Order: sequence, then structure tokens, then C-alpha cells
Amino acid sequence: MAGETVLVIGGGPAGLEAARGVADLGYRTVLVEARDHLGGTPIAASYAALTHGMRDAGEVMGEMAAAVTGHPLVDVRLGTRVVACAGAVGEFAVTLERRGARETVAAGAIVVATGFDHFDPGRATQQYGYYQYPDVITLQDAEAMLKAKRFVRPSTGEPPGRVGFIQCVGSRDRHIGNEYCSKVCCGIASKQAIEIRQLLPACRVFIFYIDMRMYGYWENEIYWPAQERYKVAYVKGVVSEITVKGERLLVRGEDTTMNRPMEVPMDVVILSNGMEPSRGTREIAPILGLRQNKYGFVETPHDALDPVATSVPGIFVAGAAAGPKDLDDTIGMAGAAALKAVAAVRRAAGATPAGAVPA
Amino acid sequence: MPIPINIPVRAAATTAPKKTVFRPRPEDAPEDLRAKALELEAEGEWIVQRVPEPWIEVSTKYGRVKKVPLQHTWHHKSCGQCGHIPGYSTSIFWLHRKLGLEYKDPRDQTSCTAWNYYASATSNSAAQAAVAMRNFAAAYQTGYYPQIHCATSYGHYKEVRAELCHHKPLRDQVREILRKMDRPFVIPEEIVHYSEWVYAVRHEIAKRKVLDLSSITATVHPACHYYKLVQEDAIYDPDVYGGQRTAIVTGVVEALGARVGDYSTWFDCCGFGFRHILVQRDFTRSFAVQRKIETMRDEVNPDVTLTHDTGCVTTLDKSQFAGQAHRGATAAIPVMSESQFCALAMGAHPYRVCQLHWHAADYRPLLEKMGIDWRERWREFEDDLERLRKDSGKVMTWDDVDAEPVAAAHPAHLAHGGR
Repeated sequence: MAGETVLVIGGGPAGLEAARGVADLGYRTVLVEARDHLGGTPIAASYAALTHGMRDAGEVMGEMAAAVTGHPLVDVRLGTRVVACAGAVGEFAVTLERRGARETVAAGAIVVATGFDHFDPGRATQQYGYYQYPDVITLQDAEAMLKAKRFVRPSTGEPPGRVGFIQCVGSRDRHIGNEYCSKVCCGIASKQAIEIRQLLPACRVFIFYIDMRMYGYWENEIYWPAQERYKVAYVKGVVSEITVKGERLLVRGEDTTMNRPMEVPMDVVILSNGMEPSRGTREIAPILGLRQNKYGFVETPHDALDPVATSVPGIFVAGAAAGPKDLDDTIGMAGAAALKAVAAVRRAAGATPAGAVPA
Repeated sequence: MPIPINIPVRAAATTAPKKTVFRPRPEDAPEDLRAKALELEAEGEWIVQRVPEPWIEVSTKYGRVKKVPLQHTWHHKSCGQCGHIPGYSTSIFWLHRKLGLEYKDPRDQTSCTAWNYYASATSNSAAQAAVAMRNFAAAYQTGYYPQIHCATSYGHYKEVRAELCHHKPLRDQVREILRKMDRPFVIPEEIVHYSEWVYAVRHEIAKRKVLDLSSITATVHPACHYYKLVQEDAIYDPDVYGGQRTAIVTGVVEALGARVGDYSTWFDCCGFGFRHILVQRDFTRSFAVQRKIETMRDEVNPDVTLTHDTGCVTTLDKSQFAGQAHRGATAAIPVMSESQFCALAMGAHPYRVCQLHWHAADYRPLLEKMGIDWRERWREFEDDLERLRKDSGKVMTWDDVDAEPVAAAHPAHLAHGGR
């Protein structure tokens, strides 16, 4: 029944947590995931350890997935996309499509949890040569190697002696229109730097940054250990280009602390690429009639005070579909979205809050 | 001891290898200002001058199609080309003539003033936009379509278009200025650089080439103001550098059958830098020589470096004296525009048309390698000059350019060995 069901779109961290939350509140959940597996980007992009806490990403996502697949109130639809939506809060009619077959399900409320895509350095920032040099990789490329516990130079298969991260690739960049900070890249780069040093104690690791943004406990859990225990070198400056010198990459730019140009040889360069709205987010917003902000993320009334509501009553958003979010934000938003979705369903069905006097 | 999450464990499912092929997506492109300009036309804000037929469709950075008109073009010339490297624009005209494509060389174009604008030296947005719209109006009133020779004017006009599209008070202000000049308020459907035209006709040029260029290695310097300003409007081709750099110039060199040599500092400015060339000229010279020319020499040792903008040709070419002056050595890589290179390939006269005597780095070894008898061509040119000196007020014409070689050698030419 529409009045007892919440549709959750997206099976990543936000969608899984929202589905679990709705079900734990005693309401039916239809969880729709376009991929053929749950776990979202952490699984699809082979994340290693999660920031922060350093727990294995596959293990954590497995736990979150199991919490919904085993729940009697959660109906998981894999390989399924939302293609149409009609109605309003309390009586949405949502058309799903799986392998060409369509089905309409009724839902009282909807939670959008369609996540983000990693910025593709081929789209801009070509001066870093991501598609030109095999040893220039992205954070998710590095994650996949770290997950396999085998971090090598892609061109040779040998362990690197020097690795450099370049921060803010595709983020905080007015030139390409992504003015926002992607929030997680500083933490993930520092986390990966630690993991590389753990795997390859002889490897020197550098992080080239504009300024490091370490939220809350990341400061003491990641940032200081990276420097003090793992001897990661943080270099404040702007990298202008990556070229090749001999067998190595050459990072060229300006060291703004020393106020001079720099040329630093590297075996591997990791581009700390930021977040952009996922294809799913871009597709679902017009289908549901959701207002998007200028970057394409789902717009909310207020990022801090009302972070999960959208421009459509009865439709809520959780996680990186609403903008760059870390896992802390995502799980918190998912809980709030589940709560508000259930409240909307109850209100639409005529229920009143306990103690309230019906009008 | 962490608090356990009270749910079972499951492992990861997939791995994600590094992406090796870039696929541009039209949805990644910023707003299409051409569509916005047409919307504003529908609202009565201005006139959009349509690209005249026939046009060639080329692909831009995010896979959008751009229309490049083949002929009936109004040639917005470059101050620096006309002043320092006149064979640049002459070559563009010569190519049009040899391809049988009609054009107009107007006498009433004004400078775009963008150099000083980018050097933070002068002007404001209304003045900049008024100059741009004045030139567009001048083209429109002739019925011809603007083709812009200078990458700085080209990039700047595209930035002006963005400002005008988004800012109604600016539109109103500039429209009023145009009204006082008794000019229409008109913007072209596409803003087209001459090098886009060369790219569009590269296969026609290749069909008409008379020289074998297979032994020639060229490096390409893409002009910043061509592809770093309003970057979504620049020409890209997935088959050229994997779609990771603009295909302009490089696509032309490949079509002509020459070899393109890659070098690491392709992304760097030529050194011109707008403000630097005005107030820090030594920096410009050092940058051009050390970061560009010497890098090309060390990594590729090309026969020529080709580019497609005024400032780039002049800076890369005329900075090479600095290395020689300071260290007694120079990389000596000839520098020219791809339009001059195309013209040479099609048999253009290196002095009457391409006017290489205005260039500083020694281009003669390149001409010899291309199979051009530069001594004989120089003799012909000196004969031209001698004839013009005798007839005060006479200038060189297209008839002179197309004239057959005169057999008799000039005595002065023989006296100094052809130099």
C-alpha cells in the first residue's frame, strides 16, 4: 500500500541506511538499485579502508547490505531504474524498469540516494596527463590497488619509490565550474598516504595541497599520524603540470611556502579528484521534478538546518546526491531522511503526532 | 574497542581498473551560449547573424557540433600579425584564393583592445563589449560573416558574448552605444577563429599540396586564448591526443602528412603572458626559450614549430635571440603559423606570400628540407622590390604574387650569395 511504503532510490551507503531506518520503524521499503549489486560506489569503485575509522570498505558495506537484504520489510530491486513518477506525497506512483519490463509501485514517500560520480580528469585538467601517462592515477584507482594490498607503478608493475598526491582536482576550481570543496579528498589522500607507507615503508609520499581540510576527528586520526608517524610530506603549493623526465613523472608547480618554482620527480601521481553529481542523480531529478542546484546536485532548503528535504513534498534526499558529503554526513542524512519519510507517510495517512490535537 | 555494528559481513564484489579512454559527454559541457543567444534573439534583444552556407561541422570539446563557414567571410585581422608577421594574414587570404573561397578584407575594422584588457592595463566590460559588437555590426552590414585571425580577439569575444548573454544591463548599455553609432546590435551564431577554418579545410589543402612533407617534424603550440578561454567551444577530436588536447593545428599537420612531435611543456603559455610582455619582458624571453623552445629541441628537435596565434608566433620566434645573446647558443627552431606552413605546402612563395623574412629564427634549413629553393625565391623577391622602388607609390598585388618566376638573376643577389 502506498501509505505504508517508502521507495528508496540507490543502494549505496545512504540508500542502505535509509532503507534500514524505514524498515526498523516498521514501514515497508522498496529499495531500487541500478547496478546488479548493493554497496554503491564504495563497492563499485573497490574502496579499501573507509575514512575515517579505517575499517575495510567491503566488510562495512557487506554489513550494511545484509541489514536490508535480510529484513522482511525491505524489497530489494537490483538492476532496476526509475523511469517515471506521478502523484504526490502519500500516493506516488513510480514506474520501475528492469531489463525492459516495467512495473508501477505505490509509495507514500521517496528517498533519493543516488550518490556521486568521481570527477573525470579527462574532462578538464588535462595538464596532469591522466589519459596520457599510465602512472598518473586517481584516488579510486589507488583505492583499488590498496584494496588488493599491492600498490605498484602501473607502467612497470614495480613498487614506486616516490608517490605524490595532487589535491583539489576538479574541486574548488572556478574555471571548470566546480567551485565547491568535495570534503573527503584531503582525508582520503592522507588515509591513502598512510596505507601506502604501511605497504611500502621505503616509499616517500608527498601531498601537494592548497590547504588541507580535516574535519572533526580526521585531524587527530589521520592528519597528524600521517605526518608524525608515517612521515608523509605535505607541500603547500599549486601544481601546474605533470611531464616526464627520463623514467619518471615530473611534478611542476609553485611551492607557495618557499615562494619558488618546484620540479619534483615522482613514480606515481595520484589526482585527488572530487565529486560530481552521479548519472543517477542527473537522471532522477527531472523524473521526480526535483529542483537541482547549479552543479546538478539535488537542492535542499538549507544544507545545515533542513538538509534532507527537497523541492517536492514527500521526496527526501540523503548523501552525495545532495552535494559533496563525507560518510559521516551521509549516514546522518540517511537516518534523518528515513525519519522524515516515515513521518510524511504517516501524516499523509491521517495520523497525528502523539499528544497533538487534530484540527 | 570499537562498538560493533550488529549485522553480518559480506565482501566486496568488483574491481575498478584505471580508465584509459576518455569519452567526452555533451552533458558535461557548460551552458551553450549559442542557444542562449538565439533565445535572446527570440525575445527581441538582438540579431543573431547565421552562419552562411556552406559550412563544415566540427566537434568541440564535449562533443557538441560547431559550424565553420567555408566562405563569404569578413576577415577580422590581428594587430600583431599585420604589424609584425604580415605573411601570417596574407597566407590566410592566399589559401582562400587558392581554394576558390570568397572572402572580404575590410578596411574599417577596429582593434579589439583585448591585449591591454588581459594585461590588466585598460578598459571595462562595457567598452570591451562595445568594441566587439561594433566589429560584429560592421561585418553584418557587409553581409559577410566574421572570421577572426587573432586568438586573443577570438577568446575575448567569446567571453564578451558570455557577459552579454548573462547581463541585461550590459546588453542595454552596449545596445545604446551601438545605436549612437547607427549600427545594428548583432552577434554571430558561432564565433569562428581562422584556425578552425584551416582545420575544416585541411583535407582540401592536403589534396593540393605540392611538397612531400613526410620528412618534416613539427611541434605544435596550442594557443592559450584559443582553448583555455571558453574551452568548451574549442575543436577536439578523440583521435588526436585521445581527445585530451585540442586537435587544432595538430589535425592540420597530420592531414598534410608531416610528423607531429610531442613535447612535455605543450600546456605552457608561449611566454607572452600579456602582462609579462609589457612589464616583465625578460621573463617572457626566458620562459619562451627555456620552457618552450629548448624543451622542444631537447625532446623532439623539430624542423619547425607551428602555432595559431599572433602572440605565440612572435614570442616563440623573436625571443630566440635572448638565448643567443646570453649564452652564445640558440635552439633556432623556425616558428610560423599553420596557415603559412599550409601555404608553403601548396606552393606559396615564401617571401611574396608567407613573408618569412619578417621571422627571426632561421627558417632556411626548413625550406631546404621542404624542397623550396629559397635562394631563387629571395632573388625574385628582391627583383620585386627593385621594381617597386622604381615606381613610387606602387605596392605588391595578388598579380605579383601569382606571377611566374623571372629567369634573370638579380646582380645584388648573386653578389651576396643569395642572402
